[in-house]
Amino acid sequence: MDWLSTLTAGGLVQQFIVGLSRSTILFIVSSGLSLVLGVLRIPNVAHGSLYMLGAFLCFSIASLFDNSSMGFWIGLALAPFCVAFVSLVAERTLFSRLYDREHLMLLLFTFALMLLCRDAVKIIWGSEYRSLAPPVALQGSFSVFGMLLPKYNLFLLGLGPFVAVGLWFLTQKTKIGKIARAAAVDRDMVGAVGINVSWVFAFVFVIGCFLAGLGGALVAPTQNINQGMDHTLIMEAFLIVIIGGLGNVWGALLGALIFGLTDSMGILVWPQFSIVFPYAVVVIVLIFRPTGLLKSTW
Amino acid sequence: MKRSLISIFALFISAVIVVWSVPVQAADEIKVGIIDTYSGPPSSYALDVLDGFKLAMNKINASGGVLGKKLAYVTRDDKFKVDLGLTSAKELIMRENVNLLVGTINSAVSLAVSDLAKKEKIPFIVTYGKSSNITGAKGHKFVFNMNENTEMIGKAAAIGLSKRPFVKYWIAGDDYEYGHAVADGVWNHLKKIKPDVQLMGQSWWKVGEPDFTPYITSILSAKPDAVIVATGGAGCIPFLKAAKNTGFNEKIPMFMHTATELSTLRPLGLDAPEGVIGTSNYYFYFPETDANKVFVEEFRKAYDRYPSFGSLIGWYTANFIAKAYEKAGKVDAEKFAEALTGLSIDTPIGPLTVGKFDNQLMLPMFMGVTKKVAGYDFLIASEIMTIPAQEIVTTEEEVKKAREQK
Repeated sequence: MDWLSTLTAGGLVQQFIVGLSRSTILFIVSSGLSLVLGVLRIPNVAHGSLYMLGAFLCFSIASLFDNSSMGFWIGLALAPFCVAFVSLVAERTLFSRLYDREHLMLLLFTFALMLLCRDAVKIIWGSEYRSLAPPVALQGSFSVFGMLLPKYNLFLLGLGPFVAVGLWFLTQKTKIGKIARAAAVDRDMVGAVGINVSWVFAFVFVIGCFLAGLGGALVAPTQNINQGMDHTLIMEAFLIVIIGGLGNVWGALLGALIFGLTDSMGILVWPQFSIVFPYAVVVIVLIFRPTGLLKSTW
Repeated sequence: MKRSLISIFALFISAVIVVWSVPVQAADEIKVGIIDTYSGPPSSYALDVLDGFKLAMNKINASGGVLGKKLAYVTRDDKFKVDLGLTSAKELIMRENVNLLVGTINSAVSLAVSDLAKKEKIPFIVTYGKSSNITGAKGHKFVFNMNENTEMIGKAAAIGLSKRPFVKYWIAGDDYEYGHAVADGVWNHLKKIKPDVQLMGQSWWKVGEPDFTPYITSILSAKPDAVIVATGGAGCIPFLKAAKNTGFNEKIPMFMHTATELSTLRPLGLDAPEGVIGTSNYYFYFPETDANKVFVEEFRKAYDRYPSFGSLIGWYTANFIAKAYEKAGKVDAEKFAEALTGLSIDTPIGPLTVGKFDNQLMLPMFMGVTKKVAGYDFLIASEIMTIPAQEIVTTEEEVKKAREQK
């Protein structure tokens, strides 16, 4: 048990903070997935593709500005909106015709869309690895009590609560959020009181995809941007949504925290078998709460 | 009427097949079939090999060719897949009538094609596969390896690292065959040379792991003296990027085999971390010999970029082929294989010899440390230390042992 002797309080805190910042990305992406799943009842497998698209767009926009720090900020600001626009077009032309179909059809359709997106990315950006540096101000790390806290991860950590509060405000306090929640419960009734459900759905879908694009743009400086990044993420995002409770945005937050923290803590405690930890937790949660930790909207 | 139409059609088809299967090879050329990965991320390595090969081939042909014949080549893309590589190899032998096969970057493809080469008695020269099984356990008369292998990497890294003051090590890498082979190679040899080294722990992540930050911070809390990073093609660049972003390279020294290679450092530009220890068989700026300067000059003139190790492999592979045929005296597979075994030629990194008992090219290794140097828009290796080929090649006993064990 050599590794136990190396565990220190500082190491635990440091690992906890890195895990939290990873949870932030997972939360942003899976809350979008959960929103679409809860309101539109679409298991959107192509959600990961939009995340990948967000990362590639952020890279391309930043490289238009010579990869300067300003370029990254502009990329981060614009890429999610570009992804949202793409999703709006997809929703109006394709998804809106499919809402009444059974889930299996929708699953197959979004799967096909995922394959198309992957090839589109390959045609546009090629299959080489892309790399984007974080802005100069967020490079390197702070040294606090011997702990090494990467600046970019702290930035992600600070951003998480804003996204969570923004989502809470949108779904609980705005009119369209209330309508969307009502539509999630009974879409026929909402239609019956004279609301154009189709546009409510479009709005929710675009918000969900915006979050995927935002997650992709945020993650771009921390990893290499390549064609495989969609499928690693979509698996994790679905697991998070399932353990949190299908369609429940707060469930996604809880799931992302559990997933991100067990992942990073597992790496600290038992690095050789760290891959197993988050999945083991998913299994345990599903044994005791088969419908997820929080109330599912399905 | 219908029947006659069908028979005309059948006649046409068979005519096409007959015409196609007529040997395309002209009598006055030696045809090399190159199988490699020309699509996807590994293609940048494969294209470097091909350009180096073309450079040498054009020069050989300009000065009269080999045995009065011209060298020529055809390429096939294996898309990094074993089945495709094997089909291409068969097609090259049957339809293109190639005299020998060259390739590939994927060790699994190399091993599969090597099996075919053994059956068909056709020479196969591996360019970028790094598995030590190619010329070790699975070696035979017709297969040659022009690249370093995981055993050689292990020995060279162990020799280099043993001269540094590190005692407590951590091993981290991609959880697949190459990652473990490199890590085991380095560690086993290091323990032999310097018995007091300790292994504090290991981290293995899945191939294609998106985020290395949690792994890096966990290694930081363990505070080893140095880390051996065993990442393959896909993991090198993102790991170095994460090391730079977190400031890891400034806290703990790390060794990564390919860290100082041009193919790794060029894509990272000035975002690469400084102070990373790496081994490579070639730098375009080292050794500073006239032969190397001439090679770099010619390569830059032809392709407008610096040559990588891959370019050098392609270059000397073509030269080895030419010299082996001249020594054999005629275009014959068996004679060629016998001639190439133990053959030496002069190269930009000095004279190189093909191993007598395993057909593995005996390459020296250079260990360097990444550094920003004015004049380059990417990092280069500094404090370069040469590890001679004799110290890292597999011995006759090791080859015998490996081949008996299979």
